[in-house]
Amino acid sequence: MSHITQQPLTYVGKPARRVDALDKVTGRAKYIADYRVPGMLHARCLRSTVPHARIVRLDVTPALKVPGVHAAITSEDFVDHGLYGFPIKDKYMLAYQKVRYVGEPIAAVVADTPQAAQAGVQAIVCELELLPALFDARRALDPDAPQVGPDRADGQHPNLKGDHMIVCKGDAEAELAACPIVLDREYFTDWQEHAYIEPEGVLAIPTPEGGVVVYAPNQSPFINQGNLAMVLGLPKSLVRVIQPTVGGSFGGKDDIIYESSAQVAKLALLTGRPVRMVFSREESMVASYKRDAMHMRIRLGADRDGTLRACWFRGIIDSGAYASETPFTAWRASIHAMGCYRYQACDVDVHCVYTNNGYAGAFRGFGNPEVCFAVEQTVDELADLLGIDPIDLRLKNCLRLGDETVHGQKLTESVGLIECLTTARRISDWDRKRAEYGRQTSTEKRRGIGVAVMYHGMSLGAEGADSAGATISILPDYSVEITSGLTDYGTGSRTVFTLIAAEELGVRPERIHMQRPDTNTAIDSGPTVASRTTVVGGNAMRLAARNLRQTLDMAAANLLQCDPRQLIRDGEAYIGPDEEAVAWEKVVDHARRLGLILSAHGHWSAPKIAWDHHHGRGTPYMAYVYGAQIAEVEVDLRTGNVQVLHIWAVHDIGKVVFPQGAYGQLYGGIAQGLGYALTEQITYREGYLQQTNFESYLIPTSVDVPEITGVFVESAYSHGPYGAKNIAEPALVPTAPAIANAIAHATGRRVRELPINLERVLLGRDLQPPASTQPARAAFHIPVRSTPQTAPVART
Amino acid sequence: MRIEFILNGEAVAVEAPPDITLLDLLRDYLNLTGTKEGCAVGECGACAVIKDGRLVNSCMVLAPQAEGCEIVTIEGVHAADGGPNDLQQHFIEYGAVQCGICIPGMIMAGEALLRQNPHPTRAEIRLALAGNLCRCTGYQQIVDAIEATAKGRRAQP
Repeated sequence: MSHITQQPLTYVGKPARRVDALDKVTGRAKYIADYRVPGMLHARCLRSTVPHARIVRLDVTPALKVPGVHAAITSEDFVDHGLYGFPIKDKYMLAYQKVRYVGEPIAAVVADTPQAAQAGVQAIVCELELLPALFDARRALDPDAPQVGPDRADGQHPNLKGDHMIVCKGDAEAELAACPIVLDREYFTDWQEHAYIEPEGVLAIPTPEGGVVVYAPNQSPFINQGNLAMVLGLPKSLVRVIQPTVGGSFGGKDDIIYESSAQVAKLALLTGRPVRMVFSREESMVASYKRDAMHMRIRLGADRDGTLRACWFRGIIDSGAYASETPFTAWRASIHAMGCYRYQACDVDVHCVYTNNGYAGAFRGFGNPEVCFAVEQTVDELADLLGIDPIDLRLKNCLRLGDETVHGQKLTESVGLIECLTTARRISDWDRKRAEYGRQTSTEKRRGIGVAVMYHGMSLGAEGADSAGATISILPDYSVEITSGLTDYGTGSRTVFTLIAAEELGVRPERIHMQRPDTNTAIDSGPTVASRTTVVGGNAMRLAARNLRQTLDMAAANLLQCDPRQLIRDGEAYIGPDEEAVAWEKVVDHARRLGLILSAHGHWSAPKIAWDHHHGRGTPYMAYVYGAQIAEVEVDLRTGNVQVLHIWAVHDIGKVVFPQGAYGQLYGGIAQGLGYALTEQITYREGYLQQTNFESYLIPTSVDVPEITGVFVESAYSHGPYGAKNIAEPALVPTAPAIANAIAHATGRRVRELPINLERVLLGRDLQPPASTQPARAAFHIPVRSTPQTAPVART
Repeated sequence: MRIEFILNGEAVAVEAPPDITLLDLLRDYLNLTGTKEGCAVGECGACAVIKDGRLVNSCMVLAPQAEGCEIVTIEGVHAADGGPNDLQQHFIEYGAVQCGICIPGMIMAGEALLRQNPHPTRAEIRLALAGNLCRCTGYQQIVDAIEATAKGRRAQP
């Protein structure tokens, strides 16, 4: 399954309609808040009002006396207090012994109405004894820092989450010492809220056999099922998770939904009634995990002609009170920290720490937007310093086919970065604008144009086992039903799977119906994350459909009395040597007469790769997507206001399977990146989130997002279905640095912190004092070297 | 209290408490769940409906304020045959839909705009959508869909 189809494609890559669009434009699509189930009760959570405390008394019995309340639960109601989490098991479905962030759930109450449930929550007796709290990630590993994380047996600081993630090539210190030009810069990227327009909600329905069916808008229903079985003490066979229509996720609806799922499932089992919990926007903002904040220091060494030689990078990730997925985020950040360039030497070290600032988890881009913001601005600063055009400098250094990455991975195929960059340069009229805007003298408004490039490793990479399953079957009415263990939470993957199944089976997409993701009917395919659905799930679907196609081909050959190789297709119909067309339905009927089973499944595993965490070398990902974005901005020098005028985005995503969906992903990712760049500010003041709704957390509106010109470079990847790679996450990655570089071009002043808000543009500083007065630099240790000539040594 | 108004072209009378919003009245008392709640503070537009020809956030309207008004919700937007109308078809055709939670509000905003301004420029379309947040699409294909609908409606006699 590694060749690229040479035959002309009928459905893949052609204009298509999204399979679930009709229900959504008519308002018929049902989201959790829209479900009306007879006998349904409503649940609410008691949440922590302090950032760090010991729970000294927790009594829910007063809640049970509140009219309308049916039950109330705490961590005592779960197996092992509801401890869960991957890769670090450090969180409870309801807080146990301690609370570590404002908004952490402590108890849950179920009642006839949401109002009664809230009254029940208010009746709970909960005494919290305040503990010293930690808010500055840069101080988290100080010997006297308050302990937020769980005890560690390995002698490491308990506030270190997981381990240091390193990438190492040669001796970066020696190489930097030998470079005529070295830039040493610090960057900071802020938290980001997913801000899906649908707040969280879960519905649980108890079953007569003592199990539970959970409607959960999570990304990864099988992980939810596993957690539920574990904390409820039920066999997996009694826990069914169904994904209803999901109103956006972007990485954000896994752990928080698992937690709510466990709460409502337990309450449903206790009451024998359906139970639903729906968050308000404020609850969503306060309780849910976010994109981590990252403090970065980067040192880039180069020759005077702009040849990059060395990159040294240190990153401290504030991922708050619990680990969630952030140890993996740190790993992805480390792999991409040096950007998509060649270096003689590289030394990257990224780690996550515990604090009492909410908590961070998966968010589109997963560590790469953070590091891309740093490296792509530093590369621009280098270009400015050397008087080299920023695109020329990138073209000189960026990864090409045949190169070896700093990790030690040879890029043997599908490297479209140069084409992305040169195309973006051409369509944006870069050279003219760059020169023209460099001559502006206005003191009111100035324009700027900036570029950023990126690469992004496909799928999970060496994070974990990477495989997926799919099923396909022909129903009695000749419709075709498909399932995948990878889900569609707005991304368009149901349409991608439909087009792939139609292509392979040779039937119209309208004949195909994709079930809602359901742990009872789909095959566990790992998490729906890392933009892996089209490639990993798509390959599985392709194999499933091919397997079924073989069955039908055999039936057709038998019916037409020929060899299967003599068959040709005319639309759905089969044609044999006598050139008479036989309807697809007749072939299906004949297959049934032959006793053949008209269903199949497919399973696909990604190519084996390996990463050596101890030495920071290996093959982190099977392949990469690449992209270049150019932003043109107008800065009002009197107010600091930045208007993005246009964005040109050229991305190498391999073969495009569902063009309309791929462009939608591109535009949407850019809009999120624009918000990340300019307006989306999350402030934890002593652990309290200051932005709790959209009047203060400003996501881009239709007048903030400019017209976008998107172009796809289809540099085929041999292991992808039809040569496809992926798009969802990478679209967001280069947007913020491209805008930042454009602002620097317009103003001559560089903002190294996100978001690039009015005061940072206008004044070059914050109006509010920072949380800590300690300079960040002290947290980034640079080893003192005796002699710069020491031979390169591998890290151990 | 009893609240009477015209809902999607038909007279309705509903008993409801006076202190609930029009959004809750629609969703909880009339079972019209196409209108969504995204923020409950009038910022996101997921709950947008057309009240007497004007786009309003139904989370910012008290239910009794609907008395005597003409309210159109997403359930009242369709072609004569009950299928999707031209605006809804263009949303599908131009790929304007991803997760879909904002889309009923976007359709209402598009309808309200086209009733007031049959010749909107792209900038005017963007301005008309500025009260409707979408986190998935980047708005571009939504603007495309409304632009195509305006063009199509102008071509109609």
